[in-house]
Amino acid sequence: MGNSGFEKYKRLPSGGFALSGPAEMAEALRLQNWRIRREEERRQGEMATGERIQTRRLATTSTPSPSPPAPVWKLRKDSKAHSKAAKSAKPSKAALQFVPGWDLAVGIEIHAQLNTPHKLFSPASPSAHAPPNTRVAPFDAALPGSQPVFQPGVLIPAVRAALALRCAVQPASRFDRKHYFHWDQPAGYQITQYYAPLARDGSVTLRARDGLLGDEVEVVGIQQVQMEQDTAKTLAQPGGVQWVDLNRAGAALVEIISRPTMRSPAAAAAFVRKVQGLLRGADACVVGMEEGGLRADVNVSVKRAGEAGPLGTRVEVKNLSSFKAVEDAVVAERDRQIAVLEGGGLVEAETRGWTVGGTETRRLRGKEGEVDYRYMPDPDLGPVVVDPRLVEHLAERSGMSVDEELDELVGRYGLTEKDAVTLTGLDDGNRVQYFYNVLEALETLRTGNWGEHHAPHQPEPPQDPETLSRLAANWCLHKLGKLTNDSSLLAMTPNGECVVPSGDLATIIHHLHEHDITAKTANALLLGLFSGDIPPGHVRQTIDEQQLWFHEISRDEYAAVADAVVADGDVKAVLDEFLKYYQQEGGKKQYPEGKLMFLVGRMMRVGEKAESMDPGSAEGVMRKRIKEVYVPRMMRGAGGGGEGEGKAEGV
Amino acid sequence: MRTGFRLRTLCLRCSRGYGVTHNFQQRRLLNHFVSKEEIPFDLPKDAFTLAVKDNIATESLPTTCASPFLTPYTSPFEATIVAQLRERGAVVVGKTNLDEFGMGSHSTHSAFGPVTQPDSDLSPGGSSGGSAVAVATGEAAVALGTDTGGSVRLPAAYTGVVGYKPSYGMLSRHGVVPYANSLDTVGLLSRSYNIAELDPRIRAAWAAAAAAVLGARARVVPVSLPSTRHALSAYYVLAPAEASSNLAKYDGVRYGARAAASDTYAASRAAGFGGEVQRRILLGAYTLSAEAMDNYFRQAQCVRRVVRRDFDRVFRLGNPLVDEEDEAPFDLSDVPEEVEMQSKLGPAQVDFLLCPTAPTLAPGVDEARGMGELEGYVNDVFTVPASLAGLPAVSVPLAVEGDGRWAGLQVVGQFWDDARLLAVAREVREVLGVGRRGREGEW
Repeated sequence: MGNSGFEKYKRLPSGGFALSGPAEMAEALRLQNWRIRREEERRQGEMATGERIQTRRLATTSTPSPSPPAPVWKLRKDSKAHSKAAKSAKPSKAALQFVPGWDLAVGIEIHAQLNTPHKLFSPASPSAHAPPNTRVAPFDAALPGSQPVFQPGVLIPAVRAALALRCAVQPASRFDRKHYFHWDQPAGYQITQYYAPLARDGSVTLRARDGLLGDEVEVVGIQQVQMEQDTAKTLAQPGGVQWVDLNRAGAALVEIISRPTMRSPAAAAAFVRKVQGLLRGADACVVGMEEGGLRADVNVSVKRAGEAGPLGTRVEVKNLSSFKAVEDAVVAERDRQIAVLEGGGLVEAETRGWTVGGTETRRLRGKEGEVDYRYMPDPDLGPVVVDPRLVEHLAERSGMSVDEELDELVGRYGLTEKDAVTLTGLDDGNRVQYFYNVLEALETLRTGNWGEHHAPHQPEPPQDPETLSRLAANWCLHKLGKLTNDSSLLAMTPNGECVVPSGDLATIIHHLHEHDITAKTANALLLGLFSGDIPPGHVRQTIDEQQLWFHEISRDEYAAVADAVVADGDVKAVLDEFLKYYQQEGGKKQYPEGKLMFLVGRMMRVGEKAESMDPGSAEGVMRKRIKEVYVPRMMRGAGGGGEGEGKAEGV
Repeated sequence: MRTGFRLRTLCLRCSRGYGVTHNFQQRRLLNHFVSKEEIPFDLPKDAFTLAVKDNIATESLPTTCASPFLTPYTSPFEATIVAQLRERGAVVVGKTNLDEFGMGSHSTHSAFGPVTQPDSDLSPGGSSGGSAVAVATGEAAVALGTDTGGSVRLPAAYTGVVGYKPSYGMLSRHGVVPYANSLDTVGLLSRSYNIAELDPRIRAAWAAAAAAVLGARARVVPVSLPSTRHALSAYYVLAPAEASSNLAKYDGVRYGARAAASDTYAASRAAGFGGEVQRRILLGAYTLSAEAMDNYFRQAQCVRRVVRRDFDRVFRLGNPLVDEEDEAPFDLSDVPEEVEMQSKLGPAQVDFLLCPTAPTLAPGVDEARGMGELEGYVNDVFTVPASLAGLPAVSVPLAVEGDGRWAGLQVVGQFWDDARLLAVAREVREVLGVGRRGREGEW
């Protein structure tokens, strides 16, 4: 195959290939396979270490870029160096967490929209996508004479939220009016639960995997969970004009108020992230924080370390809409307060704001300018009486908590904590469902039991979780992730399906795991599924038609290839390393794995049947032959050779 | 004779509220209608005319609450009570003038000017003064009013018609623009007692009850309601508090003229509300403020509860809203000293209470306009206790001999005892005589 083949296929930006027919596709797949391999080997040769092959064996490498390798690597190294320099200029994340001599206390209020088809007090359905002002009942617009009608369906997600936060749901809660004038508030007041909230006294546990540093475990108390109305959406227009969209006005929110016990900025961000995960896991809330469905206000206070007594004066930073904003705002506000106190000043109780990407909080209003909300029990609304049986029922039906799920992924399926956290956090929690679907399909493939259906959420773990489920997680996370930067292109659905059907991915993983296909073939198949070149359900057919099955050569053939590699004179220096290893006394010298990989790389390159060779098998054979054949031969030869040299010298 | 109807309608529709008495000869500016409907010459046999206070939403006519904020406002939906009455044959003749958002006792605090009585310059009472006059002139057989602290009963007493404030919550408030939600009650005004016959089921129920109760002739005993002396103060804390909240939506953003951008809310509200409404909003905003909440709003809520307990102690019937397990039984040691004992078991218990509707006869319109605010508030002293307790009450008119004015007598019953109350009020009215406003055969 000549280089001319490259010109035949135009590379697409997505990493796919423009293909027309099955025959062409087969050729392309093989071509790609071959080309990538050649590129890789060339690079390995140049690097003179075999590290890349090692990773290939684990089938976890990404598809390497086929562009000339040297500049790319140089670039990568450069950018790494750059980022290292940048990091050393900036304090590390860990260094930002604590200021010696000072204690920090953070309390957080989180607002999240409940997952319910109606607004809190009207049957209108809130929607972020409907045309403006089309989801508005008379009460949402506060028309004179309209009355609130509590929508009991709201209670289901609200109680789920309370339970997810381990709160005690109160037998009776009440609604109060909170008054302030703003055009996002048509009634002039927001209906909330101030005096008698829905639930009280919960807790959220934060650990390292939630974003805490070190092995610390922080239990953050939840003071209360209350139901309340959302405000309208406003859009500022040029010329001081405000557009108001009432679609969101009156939508049902929960407000979650933590106790002020968080001690680090990372804990504050971790708390918000954890609460979002818990709410999503409990199916209580609709959208993620970054999409505006979750907003947080933080209360920050500092005092000198070890000083007894109450918390310092607290300052509220309002309207934070991302985890990063929470952490950055806490850092900035803490540092500002410390600077004030160290300068001999007093921290003033006030409300401050935060601009994304900023470095300082800014004052919005002081205490004297604080709005008196004039809370008043709403005379139009009776108490909400929650039957304990409803709470019991919802508690029984609630699925796994995020924590339990992470424990499961780590303990049962053998994932790393990092991968488990990433997996559960992707695509609004849909990615992990996809993972379960893939596992279930894998299990079906493995047992060959096509008729039996497992529970969709918790498939049985594979027999060898160490490899198969990790392999599956790797593909669901990293391989899928590398297909595109925009994960919305995957179109992941809540029941865990996407443009790459879980069954097809399982087929690829299954055959890869069984060594039926090579990693390269597997990568190409995934690409084909994503680009649509392989129709769903046609993975096996494609492998058959394009003859992509991996037919491994025999052990003897491997040995022959190994012998051929070793016969080349220029590897003698490499072989000497092995000789030294086996001849040493005391065991200080490490086995020269790198050299071994170099030799395996040579095998893959020299072998005429490279397509039918597995690097893992090649490595095994090479390792064995070095120990059992080449080194003994060298030892014998070293004796003989030494004599020969001696003779020569002697001549 | 109905020949005058069309002419009168045209005349009334030409501007805001030119009222004409049923006697077409005597045309005077009564100002009791804010807007009028053209009604057909021949009403169906079962139909009756209905005037609607202009703080109750109608689809056909604007709903202004006599406030500049809502002068161009027409509700996209109709109040439940109006729809229910239309189903039963009501023909809406017009929307009646009132004190702005129902706040006032003489129907003088209106963006459309004060209302006057047909044959005199007397105050028609408030805030449902327009509705009372519409009934008194015969232009409407029945008028809808709202009674928050006496706003149906007081005008009824002053204009010599019957005013009925049902138990709180008995009639739907959907479409009633709120003044103080926990007190607002839709009430009915009529010259005759036909209002009680709107629903034959209610009539049948109370007819049976009335026969049983009044057959044995009523016995009259004096009773004491010691906490009612605090009721007026409590009312004027609670009602303005709720009003300040309810009226927050009138901010110049969607209602009323929007003032300059720098202080839109304050300026729009200062320009849009009348003086009495502003006074009550300020009062309410203060009593709800963090510093005053405990001393005023909470205390007033406590008084409200004590007032209700006073009534419960006096009535023979229990209050269906009160869970007996939650409430400790009355202990004689708790009964104030001044309460007269009927027996060793305690003071007398009664079925109904009879008391004046208002402490004074109707003042002249000019006199009422010149009154201080406090004087106006004091007028509500007899009506407010039943409002705080949510009890049903009927004001029946009694002609004052030689004066030409009317005194109102109020009959109050236990909560949800409306059917028996109406029966008794009818007996009382028979005893008192039909009077000028009633016509023979209307019973």
